[in-house]
Amino acid sequence: MSLDPHAPSGLIPPVDEHATAPIRRPRVAPLAATLAILMGGLLAFLLWAAPRTDEGISWGDPLIPGGWMAWTLATALFFWIIAALILLFLVLALRFPETPRKGVLGIETTRGDRLFITLLGSAFLNLAWLGLVDRAQWGALVLCLIFAAGVFRWA
Amino acid sequence: MKPIDNRAWLLVLPVLVLVAFSAVVPLMTVVNYSVQDSFGSNEFFWNGIGWFDDLLHSERMWDALGRQILFSAIVLLIEVPLGILIALHMPRKGFWSSLCLVLMALPLLIPFNVVGTIWQIFGRVDIGLLGRAVAALGIDYNYTRDAIDAWVTIVVMDVWHWTSLIALLAYAGLRSIPQAYYQAAEIDQASRWAVFRFIELPKMRGVLVIAILLRFMDSFMIYTEPFVVTGGGPGNATTFLSIDLVKMALGQFDLGPAAAFSIMYFLVILLVSWAFYTVMTNLDREEGPR
Repeated sequence: MSLDPHAPSGLIPPVDEHATAPIRRPRVAPLAATLAILMGGLLAFLLWAAPRTDEGISWGDPLIPGGWMAWTLATALFFWIIAALILLFLVLALRFPETPRKGVLGIETTRGDRLFITLLGSAFLNLAWLGLVDRAQWGALVLCLIFAAGVFRWA
Repeated sequence: MKPIDNRAWLLVLPVLVLVAFSAVVPLMTVVNYSVQDSFGSNEFFWNGIGWFDDLLHSERMWDALGRQILFSAIVLLIEVPLGILIALHMPRKGFWSSLCLVLMALPLLIPFNVVGTIWQIFGRVDIGLLGRAVAALGIDYNYTRDAIDAWVTIVVMDVWHWTSLIALLAYAGLRSIPQAYYQAAEIDQASRWAVFRFIELPKMRGVLVIAILLRFMDSFMIYTEPFVVTGGGPGNATTFLSIDLVKMALGQFDLGPAAAFSIMYFLVILLVSWAFYTVMTNLDREEGPR
């Protein structure tokens, strides 16, 4: 039996499994637009409804005087930001399905995990700043943003 | 690895409405309380981060946190090894095994306040069996007067109440080890310690992580039993986080500080639960496809 290097090998050529049709991205534009309008409207409403004094918006006064729980603009904005972040990540997850990765923490994280780590870590950073550093509280926010960047880059 | 398709989560949306009412909105009100001062009658005054500032610089909270961590640590250090030890020595099959399982499960079935009452009376020097017996041995024991005695009583009570849980979980883990592993160990003439260290312990890892998580969470949130036995005393010796929190919120009606306290308590629990959950799921993933 002679071996001809140019003869067909008889083997089935390997199929490149990755060379199939590109992944179809779901269309999320309508959903994203709806959510943006809803959240934007909510924000506008909150700012519009906020009680004012001569010096501008008074953050700590009840939005509805005498209403249940005396919700204030500051608390409302806090929850608005968290809700907006969750919705943003919802849209991102629909639009760009992702693969978990292993970062410096040694655990598999997805985008949502990294958001959670960022938010939880930020809470502790704020408390630590409040307890240990005798400076204005916005300094903790700067620290949190740096922390967030680090988590999203390396965790 | 395939990208994760998270779209199925959208099916959870209806549940979200229920959870919003039972958990999310109440949690939001706690956040709202924590930045305000109230004297009741739905009147609120903005206080910003003042309560958090006060609490972070108050000895009272740090002391309660320290006691809580110490308590959880002691309880885990006793219950986990003891539970494993008991599981290792429980009969493997037959009548005695069933009897053991039933007996072990009994303390777990008793309501928390009843456990507290049992030990409250059991430990009393005037009428309690334990108290009388210890006093008869010549030991000056009085859990209402002496901080150490109070701690010992509460720790022993918790060990009595919850070691069974660890033992039962560890027992379940042990029973799932195929006989072939033991036969192989026997052929290798492995010592009893080697069998435990290299076969039983790794195979029990999954259930032990769950057991430790459960025990940590329960002991970190403990309220009823020490409340019934010592009421947080003598002095503040057994005032754990939840007892202190209830005192603050309902006893003094300081809703603002209590809410700030709850949020910090919640953050610690969230952090620990997340850490345990992450470790568990990562373990599962490593063990899964083998």
